[in-house]
Amino acid sequence: MPPIIDKDKCIGCGICAAICTMDVFSHSGKGHSPEVLYPEECWHCRACTMDCPKGAVRLRLPIPYRLLFVDSATLRQGRRV
Amino acid sequence: MIPIQNEMTCDVLCVGGGIAALQASIAAAEEGSDVLLVDKAHPRRSGSGATGCDHFGCYLPEVHGDDINVIVREILGSQTGTCHDPRLTRRFLKESTAMVHRWESWGIPMRPKGFYEFKGHAFPTRPRAFLHYDGRQQKPILYKKAGECGVRFLPYSPVVDFVFNEHGQPVGALALRIDQEDPGFTLIRSRTIVLATGVATRLYSSETSPGMLFNLAYCGSCTGTGISLVWRNGGHTLNMEIPYIHAGPKHFARCGKASFIGVARYPDGSPVGPFVTEPDKDYGDVTLDVSHRILTERLCDGRGPIYVDCHGAPEAWLDEMREALRWEGVAAMLDHMDEEGIDFSRHAIEFMQYEPHVQGRGVEIDENGETSIPNVYAAGDIVGNFRVGVSGAAVYGWICGKSAARKSKDAPSSSSLDQNSLDAACDRCSRIYDRRGSGGATWREANIAVQTLMSSYAPVPPHKARSANLLCAGLKYMKDLRAKLDRELSADNPHELMRALEVYELLDCGEAIMHAALERKESRGNHVRSDYTLTNPLLSNKFLIMTNRKGIVAGTWREKWN
Repeated sequence: MPPIIDKDKCIGCGICAAICTMDVFSHSGKGHSPEVLYPEECWHCRACTMDCPKGAVRLRLPIPYRLLFVDSATLRQGRRV
Repeated sequence: MIPIQNEMTCDVLCVGGGIAALQASIAAAEEGSDVLLVDKAHPRRSGSGATGCDHFGCYLPEVHGDDINVIVREILGSQTGTCHDPRLTRRFLKESTAMVHRWESWGIPMRPKGFYEFKGHAFPTRPRAFLHYDGRQQKPILYKKAGECGVRFLPYSPVVDFVFNEHGQPVGALALRIDQEDPGFTLIRSRTIVLATGVATRLYSSETSPGMLFNLAYCGSCTGTGISLVWRNGGHTLNMEIPYIHAGPKHFARCGKASFIGVARYPDGSPVGPFVTEPDKDYGDVTLDVSHRILTERLCDGRGPIYVDCHGAPEAWLDEMREALRWEGVAAMLDHMDEEGIDFSRHAIEFMQYEPHVQGRGVEIDENGETSIPNVYAAGDIVGNFRVGVSGAAVYGWICGKSAARKSKDAPSSSSLDQNSLDAACDRCSRIYDRRGSGGATWREANIAVQTLMSSYAPVPPHKARSANLLCAGLKYMKDLRAKLDRELSADNPHELMRALEVYELLDCGEAIMHAALERKESRGNHVRSDYTLTNPLLSNKFLIMTNRKGIVAGTWREKWN
């Protein structure tokens, strides 16, 4: 579940935890990687990913959130999917 | 008892940290007021505009010509225009021009391509009211600007109640600190208050991913705080009974429908609407603005699903569209598409209607942004008689800030507080926290319980209708649920306590909806009653004003302010 912090890249600045509008993270202090305490409360605004100075945070979309799609060609051919 | 750890005073208290709250804070500070902004999160990235928006409804004479009424008509006819007092719409549009220039001077790219481009949410051949801009950094820029103007910030502090003087008038707020191991209160005294707490999400059961509470197109920490405060304290609310139901990609709930340039098509490829047959970079396909409901109707009758198909658009248009979706703040969807190999040029995305949320319904304000409660103002998505998305929040936030600052100069400072109501508010929160570690009911189960009642007893179309029978049953069950939560709801830490208190706000919003829906004895828009199926033309130019005075709920009708 999102977000996921790359511990190798993270410098423990805590910006992601400070700005998260959902209060998903906990941060124990400078130099420590934040913990993702409430991953299921993420609303995927992506602020943590945008504002991380090291590109250390990514979001994983839970499976039920996935987009449903078809090849456009099936629509153009007037064919049932 | 959770202690009051800190006391603060200010002239203007802005509750919330989104676009409307920041705008109000800047405007009031520029008038010389001492301004405090209290946010449950951090104003740099909080609220529904956290990481972007890309449509700013406005009137720009240099683009639209000298007749503002041309754009007034477009806004009132748009998907956000249904619950407006037109007098407020005109005030908004008059001030929107300066706001575009002001935002631009502050560094928000209002013409990222070098010119003012109006596109999206528009009908072919008709004037276009929505300026296409890059909102990705709007929040950090407004936050910085507010700081430069001298606004003080109190982050991580959800407001749980007003505080009152001896005459029962709100003279500040009680905020809960959640950024510490144990919760504590901050008592804030202010001369005026601007409520700008955003939409109410998490009120209805999820349509996208049942059981998952936060797959939301709008900020999931917004649960109608301002509406709850006004409802609880006898203020006017309106249009709560007219549901707003957003639509977008399935199943990832996102905004940005109007950023898509594709055609809404049935599985046989035929267009759903009459507006476009091929992708159009200026208009998109406004069909799904005209009717969100058609997405559900066609799924239920088997003629769907409905796809948005961008095939045939030149690659340059698709690149622009992807960029626009980033401006809108929905880059998480683009990341997902990249990971899954989903490509707008080859794939058509299914769209759906999401569950209802409360937006552009709620608190009644006058032309200056003041609510029916003296010295209390409201702006942004909690307002019930005006809404134009981000620009509505920006402009009416600004109007509220100016009005509140001027009023503060005359409003007396609070000498004594109503200690009983303060104690009651502290006690209400403390009782939940006192049950920590007891294995009591969690906020999550409480939230789901509210959702199931709303979805069953204040349902929305298509294929479901409301009635006096259902609404009366729903109100009874909501009352029972509230009593049960009063006895059993627990929270193990400040974060959970915040979420638990949000559930009470949702209960307030839900009851306000059910009472208003009961009183509106007709069908209108997404308010569909099986016992009053007609839309009554005699009510078309009227609003139903609801009040809750210490549990006595009443509805009165007034003419719209034209």
